[in-house]
Amino acid sequence: MTRKDLLDIESLSREEIELLLDQAGPFKDLFTRSVKKVPALKGKSVLTLFYEPSTRTLSSFEVAAKRLSADVTNFDVPHSSVVKGETIKDTIDTLQAMRTDYIIVRNKMPGLPQMIARETKACVVNAGDGAHAHPTQALLDGFTFREVFPELTGKKILIVGDILHSRVARSTSTLMRKLGVEVAWLGPGSLVPKHGPKEIERFTNYEEAMRWAPDCIYLLRVQMERQSVQYFPSLREYTKLYGVTPERFKRIADQGTYIMHPGPVNRGVELCDAVMDYDRSLINQQVENGIAARMAVLYWLKPDTPTS
Amino acid sequence: MASLLIQNARIACEENDDLTPADVLVENGTITQIGDQLQAPEGAKVIDASNKILMPAMFDTHIHMREPGQEAKETIKSGSEAAINGGVTGVVLMPNTSPAIDSAAMVRTIYDIAKRDARIPVYTSGCITKGREGKELAGIDGMLKLGVKMLTDDGDAVPDLLLLKHAMEYASEFDCFFASHCEVLELSGPRALNEGVVSHRLGIQGTPACSEEICMDRDIRLAHATGARLHIQHVSSKIGMETIRWWKQMGAKVTAEVSPHHLLFNEEDIGDYDTHYKMNPPLRTAEDNKALLEGLKEGVFDIIATDHAPHTPFEKSQDFVNAPNGITGLETSLISLFHYFVKTNEFGWGLIVNRYSAQPRRMMGLDPVPITEGGKADFLLFDPEGQTTFSSDYMQSLSKNTPFLDKTLDGSIDLVVLGDEVLLER
Repeated sequence: MTRKDLLDIESLSREEIELLLDQAGPFKDLFTRSVKKVPALKGKSVLTLFYEPSTRTLSSFEVAAKRLSADVTNFDVPHSSVVKGETIKDTIDTLQAMRTDYIIVRNKMPGLPQMIARETKACVVNAGDGAHAHPTQALLDGFTFREVFPELTGKKILIVGDILHSRVARSTSTLMRKLGVEVAWLGPGSLVPKHGPKEIERFTNYEEAMRWAPDCIYLLRVQMERQSVQYFPSLREYTKLYGVTPERFKRIADQGTYIMHPGPVNRGVELCDAVMDYDRSLINQQVENGIAARMAVLYWLKPDTPTS
Repeated sequence: MASLLIQNARIACEENDDLTPADVLVENGTITQIGDQLQAPEGAKVIDASNKILMPAMFDTHIHMREPGQEAKETIKSGSEAAINGGVTGVVLMPNTSPAIDSAAMVRTIYDIAKRDARIPVYTSGCITKGREGKELAGIDGMLKLGVKMLTDDGDAVPDLLLLKHAMEYASEFDCFFASHCEVLELSGPRALNEGVVSHRLGIQGTPACSEEICMDRDIRLAHATGARLHIQHVSSKIGMETIRWWKQMGAKVTAEVSPHHLLFNEEDIGDYDTHYKMNPPLRTAEDNKALLEGLKEGVFDIIATDHAPHTPFEKSQDFVNAPNGITGLETSLISLFHYFVKTNEFGWGLIVNRYSAQPRRMMGLDPVPITEGGKADFLLFDPEGQTTFSSDYMQSLSKNTPFLDKTLDGSIDLVVLGDEVLLER
């Protein structure tokens, strides 16, 4: 059971997701050893192609690839021919000529990784394409959630914030549902999509959402740049209605609810400081698990590039 | 061609779906006899049309030929050849060329090129505003004096309602009408696809149908108030269709068109970011397809028009958001209408002749071209038992951006005659 590309979560079966999560476990165990590398991808070349700024995802992929002994090249988009007007199709041809085995791509354009995957023999991993998908984030979220709740069926996760523009919310919701987890969304009416899956519960009120008794609350980063379009009146109002304020945090802690966040966190907006020290905050664990999940993905994919 | 005898044809007309068997004799570009067992004059070209349908040639009022400015996509020469290939013998161009057709000088330029390069009559519409910028009125009188009938900023709605009102008040005094590409840009987002389940799945901000419907209602209301004639272009939604039906019942002087692609395809066809299904207004839902078909059959839509919009393969191979909107239609429209609707008994040939040949001509102030004694020869021969593969070689348009590329549909266009010239014979 292998694939050439990982472009989204929708196209994965539950069995494939479980296989990837199972494979991430041994890779995570590796991190506690003095030598954190395995030779699984020795001699393979991995190219990261990030058209958008990224720190944690880019580093996470780079570390994952290196721990699998692959050779990693960061395609320096800001200093590449792309800024000279080279089109994506020309870039793909260039990459193809480089005979890279894996291309990890992030771009603001939804569907761009699909386009690259169609044109190249290398494995393409979608590291985030616009508001469409972020499958490795979903896998690391699923892995983290499963560490806390080994039996996933019937567990509940509440995703809070700008669902509309969040590839994380889409991919993680899809993955959780495929694993039997109940998913609900909470956010301003202008940022909770009307056309998403019907099985996902929608809340616009924190009280109602808490009565739903989630096992975990997944906070999304408020994208400050969206504010120019006025999806909600002010950050202050957002925090008041949807943020984990000290008062709400007390209730969350009393109920023993876990907290997740894909980072980076806007302290004082989607959550108060105290959440960062909360013993049921899984935020740092998500970062660590990101490397293991991405190692599992790279190990699982099989490029169509020549081997001799 | 001195004379042409078409034997054993079945003749289609706009009044009903009956196909009348007859021979048709054409002499010096005029249909001189229709009857049984006609004798071919000496030297006449004789065509056996057994089992084939003879019908008035089509007329398309919504065509982009990209000349001047984007000749790599299409020229008036290639576009008119594409029209002939699709059984279309008259077209009305949209004015969103570069520069835009917003003055008498530009209209004259188009007609000069057409006279030189086109084997069919090519008409053009003119802009409502200079450069289609929505800021100042275009040179309306000069364009109308050269025969322009339709004023439109196609591709965009006129955003300034007061300006549009003035244009309507001013121009309704003349023999012309307005055509609206209805859209409220503030609601449209990146203009890539419908807002719905597919836009959610693909992670692209969609354009809600209300973007079109609000503008449609706005423009018809304004035309009704000013007394202008208004034509609504490429309606894509059920509520849009119902809006037009309601306004017609209210007595507004409004006509409307539907495109084959909005009848045939919906947002689900986009699949995995297939830009051949990217158009504006976007493909909506299966329910909308059904409503538009109902609107066509009931006459809410006065005409069928393709919005033939050529783009190069390179442009369409961009990512979905950045790829340009539009598909070609001239060469696939008649055959696809036959394959999907006539063959399946959704409607008959009468509707096609009426909505895609006679009514569009009337709308432009031209006479229809029925197959009748004394009438001008302007017809095509359609073989319902034939098949057509829309290969790159088959298509005459410079662009091949159609969902039908390399697909085979039932039906073929075997002959196109205009006056005393056989434009196409296969």
